[in-house]
This record gives sequence, C-alpha cells and structure tokens, in this order.
Amino acid sequence: MTVRKRSTVAALAVGLLVLTGACAEGNQGAPATSSGAPSAAAEPYKPPTITVGTAEDSKGPAIEPEGVVRGGTVTMIDRDDFAHFDPGQSYVNTATNFGLLIHRGLTGYKRVAKGDYKLVGDLATDAGTVSDGGKTWTFTLKDGVKWQDGSAITSEDVKWTIERTFAPFITQGPTYIQQWLTEVDHKKAYQGPYDGKRLDAIETPDDKTVVFKFKTPHADANYAFAMGGYAIVPKAKDTKEKYDKEPFSSGPYIIKSHIVDKTLDLERNPNWDAATDPIRGAYPDKWHMEFGQENIQITDRLIADAGPDQTAFTFYATVPPERLQQVLGDASLAPRLLKSPSPYGNYYYFNLDRVKDIKIRQAINHAWPSKQIQQVYGGPAAAALPTTILNENTTAGYEPYDLFGKTAKPEGDIAKAKELLAQSSDPTPTIVYAYNQTPLNEQVTVVIRSALEKAGIKVVAKPLDRKTYYDSIGLVKNEFDLYWGGWGADWPSGSTVLPIVFGPVADGAPNYAHLKDPALTEEMDKITAMADIDEANAAWMSLDKKIQETITPLVVAENRIANTLHGSKVGGAEIDPQFWIVSPNTIFVKQ
Amino acid sequence: MSTPFLSVRDLTVDFHTEDGVVHAVDGLSFDVEKGTTLGIVGESGSGKSVTNLAVLGLHNPETAKISGEIRLDGEELIGASRSTMERLRGNKVAMIFQDPLTSLSPYHTIGRQIGEVFRRHTGASRAASRDRAIEMLTRVGIPQPKVRVDDYPHQFSGGMRQRAMIAMALVCDPDLLIADEPTTALDVTVQAQILDLLRDLQEQTGTAIIMITHDLGVVAGTAHEVLVMYAGRAVERGTVREVLREPRHPYTWGLLTSMPRLSAPVDVPLLPVRGTPPSLVNVPPGCPFHPRCDYTDLAGPELCRSERPELSPHRGHGDACYLTLAQKREIVR
Amino acid sequence: MLRFLTRRTLGAAVTLVIIAAITFFLFFAIPSDPARLACGKVCPPELLEQARHNLGLDQPLFAQFTAWLTGIFAGRDYGGLGYCPAPCLGYSFVNQAPVFETILDRLPVTISLTIGAAAVFLVFGVATGIIAALNQGRPLDKIASVSSLIGFSLQIYFVGTLALYFLVYKNQILARPQYLPFTEDPLAWASGLALPWVVLSIIFTANYTRMTRSTMVEQLGEDYVRTARAKGMKGRSVVMRFALRGTLTTVVTIFGVDLGALIGGAIITETTFGLQGLGRLSINAVTDSDLPVLMATVLVAAGAIIVFNIVVDALYAFIDPRVRLS
Repeated sequence: MTVRKRSTVAALAVGLLVLTGACAEGNQGAPATSSGAPSAAAEPYKPPTITVGTAEDSKGPAIEPEGVVRGGTVTMIDRDDFAHFDPGQSYVNTATNFGLLIHRGLTGYKRVAKGDYKLVGDLATDAGTVSDGGKTWTFTLKDGVKWQDGSAITSEDVKWTIERTFAPFITQGPTYIQQWLTEVDHKKAYQGPYDGKRLDAIETPDDKTVVFKFKTPHADANYAFAMGGYAIVPKAKDTKEKYDKEPFSSGPYIIKSHIVDKTLDLERNPNWDAATDPIRGAYPDKWHMEFGQENIQITDRLIADAGPDQTAFTFYATVPPERLQQVLGDASLAPRLLKSPSPYGNYYYFNLDRVKDIKIRQAINHAWPSKQIQQVYGGPAAAALPTTILNENTTAGYEPYDLFGKTAKPEGDIAKAKELLAQSSDPTPTIVYAYNQTPLNEQVTVVIRSALEKAGIKVVAKPLDRKTYYDSIGLVKNEFDLYWGGWGADWPSGSTVLPIVFGPVADGAPNYAHLKDPALTEEMDKITAMADIDEANAAWMSLDKKIQETITPLVVAENRIANTLHGSKVGGAEIDPQFWIVSPNTIFVKQ
Repeated sequence: MSTPFLSVRDLTVDFHTEDGVVHAVDGLSFDVEKGTTLGIVGESGSGKSVTNLAVLGLHNPETAKISGEIRLDGEELIGASRSTMERLRGNKVAMIFQDPLTSLSPYHTIGRQIGEVFRRHTGASRAASRDRAIEMLTRVGIPQPKVRVDDYPHQFSGGMRQRAMIAMALVCDPDLLIADEPTTALDVTVQAQILDLLRDLQEQTGTAIIMITHDLGVVAGTAHEVLVMYAGRAVERGTVREVLREPRHPYTWGLLTSMPRLSAPVDVPLLPVRGTPPSLVNVPPGCPFHPRCDYTDLAGPELCRSERPELSPHRGHGDACYLTLAQKREIVR
Repeated sequence: MLRFLTRRTLGAAVTLVIIAAITFFLFFAIPSDPARLACGKVCPPELLEQARHNLGLDQPLFAQFTAWLTGIFAGRDYGGLGYCPAPCLGYSFVNQAPVFETILDRLPVTISLTIGAAAVFLVFGVATGIIAALNQGRPLDKIASVSSLIGFSLQIYFVGTLALYFLVYKNQILARPQYLPFTEDPLAWASGLALPWVVLSIIFTANYTRMTRSTMVEQLGEDYVRTARAKGMKGRSVVMRFALRGTLTTVVTIFGVDLGALIGGAIITETTFGLQGLGRLSINAVTDSDLPVLMATVLVAAGAIIVFNIVVDALYAFIDPRVRLS
C-alpha cells in the first residue's frame, strides 16, 4: 500500500481508504460553510465509458487533444514527491500516474475522446488473447519497443517483471496476477527469480510472445495488466530494492534529476517511439516537477497564473476547502478548473451482526439526509450523491439504479422510513454510529443524527480517534452499528469491489458489514469465472442491485468531487475519471 | 567682591507625575567656595539629592522642570546644551553616590571604569588611562593597585568600592565634588576612613565639596558650612559651628536631638522628629514645617500657617522661622 | 571553562540517549504500525509479516533499540539496500534513504532559515526595543508597542499565505521562496529565503522588542547607568556600553531558547513556504510512522536545545563577570 506520504495522498489513493489510520482524512472534505456553488452545479456529469479496444486501436501514436502543441517545458507542482518508481511497489494513483511517463505495461487505457476510454495493448499488439475458458492469456509484443538504452523489450522482461513481484522485498504492489498464477498466499508458493528458480506458469515461446496460465478463469486479466504495478522492469537492469530509486525507462521520458521531496526533471527518452504508443502523447519536451508546497499555496499560484506559473499544473493538488467557494464563484477561473467525482466507493456499512433487521436497514437508507450531508461538504460542486455500490466511474457497463428514492428525495423520506420501521422488529431502534473524529465529520454526524431521529431512530454517536479509526471498525467484534468506509476498484469491474468488500470476514479485512452469505459467495465465484467480460460486467452490475435490494448491507455515501486548477498555458489537462488524477498523457504547453 | 565658585539662586525643580506636580526643590539658593565643603542636611525627600542632580544636569528634561540659576565658575548650567553638560560632568564636577555596589557597573573592571573618565575628558590613550587609574587607586589607598585595577566591583569590599568611586570622581581633578551620602552604606569604621580620605584629598587639591547627608555627625566632621533642607527649601544656613552650636530652626533642633551621641546617657531614648515629612505634591502653605512644629503657638499660628518664612538674615547664619532670636535662645537653653 | 564544557557535554550525551530511548519506546506505544504502511492495499497477514520482517520490526524492541544505537557508532548493514556507514541513524523505508543523508540534506535549509530570520528579528527586535525604551512614553514608544503587539498576534500561516499570493504569485515582486545552497550563490540563497525570514521574524521580533524595551527601561534606571552619565559619558555610549550590556543577559537567554527551538524546525514556516527543512521532515515522519527519521529529528531538535542552553550559559559568563568569577 504505499501510503508513502502524508495522509491526504493516502486518503485519496485507490483503496487506501479502507486500510489504515493514515487514511483518516478520506472522509473529510470541503467546508461546512457554503450553500453550494451557484452556476457550476447544474451541469450533469457523464461517467466515462470504458471498452476493450482492437489491435488497430492499439497502434500508435496516441490520439491528439484539440489544439495540441509539441515542445516546451511543462511544470507540475504537487505537495508530495512520488512514493515509488519501482512498478512492483506502486499502487497509489500518484505513483502509477507518474509511472505513465517512464514505464510501459502490457496493456493500458487509451483516451479516445472525453469520457471515452479503451483498454488497448501498450507494449502488446492488442489487449491480449484469452483461451482455455479464461485461464490462458497470450500477449505478443510490438516491434520496435525498446528500453532507454535502445535494447529491445522482450517477453523475458515481461516474465521477469511478474516473477520479481514474488520476491520478499516487494510488499506494496498489487497481488492479483501473482495469486492467479499460484495461490492466495503467493509468496509461499514462489520467492522470485533471484535465486535462479523460474515460474513455469509464465511461458515465453519466443522473444515476442508471453503466455500466462492461471489456475482459474479470469476474463478481465488484461485489465489487471493495465495496473501501474504491472509495468515492465528490465531483467538486465533490475537492481532489486535499489530499483525503486533507479528505474530504467521504457516510456517517453527519462529521469534527468531527482532531489527527493524537492524537484524532479524529465527529459525525452530517445528510444521511445511514439508510433508504438497509443496511450502517451508526450507532447512537452521537458517536465519540471516541484514538490513541497501545500495545496493552498499551489491553488494560489494557479489562481494568480502569473509568469512561469502559466505553464504549470498539478497532478493531484485539489482546491482546498478554504479556497473552494472563491474558485467556484470566479467565472474567469472556470476554463482552468477541472472537476471529477471520486471513483471510489464510499459506504456507511451496517454491522450485520448487530443490525439484523433488514427493515431497519432500509428505513435508515430512506431517511438518509444525503442532500444535507452534501451541503456540509460544500454543496453539489463538492460532492455527488451516488445510489449504487459500484462507482459509475470505474464500472464498465455501469447501469444506474435508485432503490431508496435518493434522486427524488435527496433530503430523505422520513414518512417512508417510519412506515418501514413500523413493520420492523423495533419501531424505535437505537443505532450506535461510529465516526472518524474530524471537524467535518462532527458536522456530518449532527446532520445524520437529526435526520434519523426524525424517523424515530435514536442515534448514539461514537467519535473514534483518527489514527485508530480503521483498526476500531475493522474488529469483527466491534460495538458499533454503523460506520463509514471506502473501497476503490483496481480496474473498471465489479470483480475488484464486490468479492472484496463482501469477502472473508476477519479482523482488519474490508468486509466491514460482516456479510456472510454462501449463496452470494457462490454467485460471485460464478461471475468471476465467466469467460465473457461483458457478460461478467453486466452480472456484477445486477448483483450490485440485488445485494442492496435483498440484503441492504450499507448506505451508499456521498462522493467527493475533486476541483483542480491549471495554468492558462497548459492544454489537454483532464482529470482521469478512473484514477482521479490529472493524466500526463494529453498535457501540452501552449505557445 | 568675587563671585562664588558655585552659585545657586532660586533653584526650583518640579516633576510632573501622574499624581500631580511634585515640588522637589522650591526657591533654593546657596554658594560653595573652592576648597570648602558645604554640608546639605535633611531627611530623605527634602530635596538634597534632587538639587545636586540638577547641578549635574542629570534630570530627565521630559519630566523635570528646572528654573533659577546655577552658575559654576561663572558659567550658567540651567539650559546648557547636552554636550556642554557632558563635558563638565566627571571633569569639572564629579559625583560620588551612596551605594558603590549598585553605582559601579558590574560588567566592567574598576580600572576601566576609572580610566574611561580620564580618557573621555583628556583624550588620553588606553594605556595612559590605565596608568592614571592605578595612580588614582593608589591615592585613595587601595592596596596592590596594579593588581586590583583589573578586578570587578563585586571583588571589592564595600569600603574599597567607595574608595574606587572616589578615585573615579577625582580622576580628572574636578573643581566641585558632590558626595551624595557617601558613607551611609558603609560600616562605622569604614565611614571614618572615607571621610578622612575626602578631607585629605580636598586639602591636596582644593576641590569644593558638597556633602549630602542626613547625618549631622558627618557634617560636623567634614563640612565648613551647612545648609539644612526641608520640603525642598533651605530652613537654616550657617557655618558648622553656628548651626551645630546655636541651631535656630525647630527642624534643626529635631535633627540634633534625633542624632545619637556617645556622651548621652544610655537610658535616654532618642527623640526623632515628630510626624512625617510632607507630600511634595501638596506642600503645606505657610511654613512647610508647621504641622510638625511644637512652637507655632509661640511664633503665631496664623502666620506659620499662611505665610512662607524666608531665610534671614540674607548672609551668615540665617534661618526661616517666625520665632524671634530671643525665643529661640530661650528654647535651646 | 573547559571543565564546565566537559561536564555539560557529558550531561548532554546522557540526556540525548535518554530522549532517544523515550522516543523509541513511545513510538511503539502509539497505535500505528509502520509495517501496515509498507504493505499493499490488500494486506493479508502473511504479507504484513513479510513487510514487518523487511523493516526489522520483528526483532525484540530492545534489540531494535540497541541495533539503532550501535549503528550510530559502528554503522549498519541493510542487506540489499547496502551498508549504512557510521554515523548511521538508520534507513528510512519511507524516504528510501539513509536517515543521516536526509538530515544532512535538510539541516542546511533549517539552519539557513534560522540564521537569516534570527539575524532579522534580533537586530530589529533589539533596535526597536532600545528605541522604545529611550523614547519611553513618547509616540515612538507607543508605535513600537502597538506594532509589536500586532506582530505578536499574527499567524505565520496567514501572513505567509497573503505575502506569497501578493508578493510572489500575483505580482512577482519577490522570488518564490526556495532553498539554494549558500556556498553556490549567496545572493540567490538570500533572495530565496528573504520572504520566509521576514515573515518568521515578524512573530519573533515582537517578543524581542518587548523584552528589550522592558529590560532596557529597567537598566536605564540602574544606579551604574546614572553613574556613567554623571561621569560625563556620552549618551550613546551610556546606552550601548552600560544599559545594553545589562539587557544582553535577557536577550541572550530568549535568543538561545528560540534558536534551539528553530533548529528543531520551524514547522509552520517551512510548510507555508514549501521549504524542505527539519520541521517538515519531522511532521512527515510522524504522519508516515517513519521511526528512524522521527528519532533523528527528535535528536537534532533536542540536541539543538541542549547545545544552545550550554552556549547561553557560557555566554552568561562572558557577559557578566559575576557569573564567570564566582
């Protein structure tokens, strides 16, 4: 996990929300002051569509953004330096997003148009060929793909890359592929290639072809390979632990200089060929990155937009609560303001061991004051109100549903809640609500208590220390009925959400609802085993609805919206809806 | 006739404070001649020190209003420029303070504090100033002056410190030396030594000395003339002999009876002056001493209470009291 | 003097070891697991155990502490990461660097920030304090008092953010705050730090003005200052040689405390101006549960305070012969 630095990165990084105390700020957001943004709010948000592309789609060069200009130096300013350069240790979106500049993987996401993405072959000629009912995946490497020293990227490099993630020193990257190739406790099955032992499940019949043989079918394995954590590492240049500090580039740039926590400069990799790359535009000649300033200072610099800051942008520094209303209210900033709702699933989990009556759980869902909580966050420009467990930004084949009338009555339906409570085992239940003690959450708690009490539910609020919040709610035998938690998909499929948040029940495991339902587990296994990806995606989506309808293990929580500024001479800046960070692929410097 | 070396005429010093105007000195006149010592006597708060700080120009011009005349060797000091005063101080006029421990800088050596006065006024070199300091220490009777010149004040005994102060005051051979209670902080045997020293030095240099004290014994041993002050005014003036033998003012009588005498029987208690000194913000009208005086009935209570008595006669032994000379002689007897 | 220094240095060393031990064991008392932070998003117990082993956290606490302590004198081997030569303050798995290197990298930033700001607030604070004292009760004194009160109540975060926006980002009157080594370009060093110096000084100057003024007023009333004037010493020399000398003791005392605290890291200033000094390093170490870095920053901060205490005590002796000779 990779929370290398500071809580905010941690909090916003994919999935970190569920993990540790360091993520405490995840449930924190905009200020309580506002009554919402006046103009920007009304515009409806369209989630991205993500499909699998063809071999033709996988050919370079990348599709150019409108008005693209090549050359120049772009400046990127962020609070924190990147946690890792070794792909095997990279999980957080800040690290993998930077990785796009210096690393390439077998597959990746190609931006076709705004909100339209395709999974294509990156180093591979296409998004992979599946056989053996989903158990065997074959990739063929493109011609002319090279390392920074001009040597060819081979199938042996790919095999080596996956094998080395089994080594003991790799503890922070993704583990899907490793587990599929061996077993759940994959480090026990194999300890990496450094002692000469190789992994037979990966075959390299020739320099260009690599074949993965999984124990079980995985129709979405080509999505898994698109994770930054599976970007390719050269066998010849692998320096194990030290590789994290001295990566060898396969991408469009090479690290020219890096002063930890201060600056990082990139220059072009002469051996990267745009014609082989459908994903990365790599328009600027040089990148200058600065770290160390707080979000408020970065925002102020970008608001001022003076001199050299006109060619600056930020990957990850969102407009902080102190500046949000000013920024949203200033029409002149609108052309330079990027927005995107969080791709993470945020939930108020019921502890099913304690709140056993589904009528009560549904009544709470009906009474939920989503709109009031949204106001606390800063209004519609600061938070969206999702209605599904799976996030619209990270779900291929997303289908909306609204079981509890949130769209019609975002402020809650007290009458309906009372009606359900009347039919329940306890018309005036007491709910112990545990929350992460931050100023914002104090306010949210007031709003929740007030709404639920109107429906006749007594709320006992239990503030928990920020550092130990996740440890406390992670205990199976906790004393709480309702608490917030989050989870991020690793690729746009329910397979990286539902089987995990409703997976094994254990202390510290992400199944905070303690949902143990053999029928559900069986159904999830069935969908996971589906050979057809579209069929699987549709099945996940309908399972999402079925879970909320028949079990109601959670209340879907409000979803923060990131607002990020960029300088006036920066073009092609866009927040990647799936990774919630400004993509480097389309950035260019206007003249 | 020649003008006196120091001539003070109608000196008035007022301090503007939050409580009102303090009339610290009110119409004071006196002269001091070279080679003589004037003793100024009075309780604390009588204006002795204020008068002498005025002579040195050490009052804060922001708060102190000074009027009258102070002529030193014919030169008017009131209203003189700061640089004029800085040139005079330590050079022509020097001062010795009551507590040598607090009056000497703890941060600098004795030799340096003495030497820097010499340097300041003569422009002598550092080495010459040091030699001068050693010479002065020798003159005031400090043993091993070449060693002690590098000592700090806290390494000296009380008497030695006061000797050093005197050395510092005399380093430029001043024409006028103001000694403000120079022996009060010292024990009795040392007191006598210091007074002897001052007397010897005066004999050698012919310096005029103003000896401020509340102790008539000190006056008796050192002064030629005496000025008795009360509430910022002179109440009696004369030679030591005149004032001590034939005191004329009831306040002087009080001072004399409050003074311990070796010859007095042990069982006779000391009689301090009855009552407390007046507030200088609200000085009583008429004779300022009348609220404490036992003889107002005799002198005429109306007069004492309403009219301020002047020092008379103008020359020689004079006092400021409405009692007749005959009445006074009667009372003293 | 030599005996004084020897005694104090020995005392300091003992104090530092005790502080290190307290920090070390307190760290493990707080509910935050560094291994958890070095373990992936999905962190099964096996992986957590692996991470714990990689970080050396599976060793007994006391063994970990002695390993750390001996590393300072004898160096330490970090396997695949290489050898960490003495003085080895440990290896930060968060920063992926030997801690000693990181400290050496950050220390000049903090020292530069401290020295510059200290020079500004010492000179300005003492000067305005003297001016106020010499003009007691007059308009100049009141101006100094009021502005020092305002300065005292200002927040670095607030002033810094405003100054940055208007002077740097918007109008580009000043260079963007950054640290450039003095040895490379003294002018760039100074211009890069000018704004942080000034902003940090605003808060400190006030205290020096107040302290200098009140001590100076006291000193000006001292008998020996009156003596100096009675000796005919010139006004300026009276103030500088006599009254100021006595004021120095007070100023030196608070200056020593302030310097010690600032070397430990001006956290808010460094954060506001994006300077990577020891203050930010320590805050980040806390957030990241980065024990080796945390230990090192605590040691540097404690060491700075101890050293400046010794320096202040030595300076007392220098300033006041009564201390020196007793």
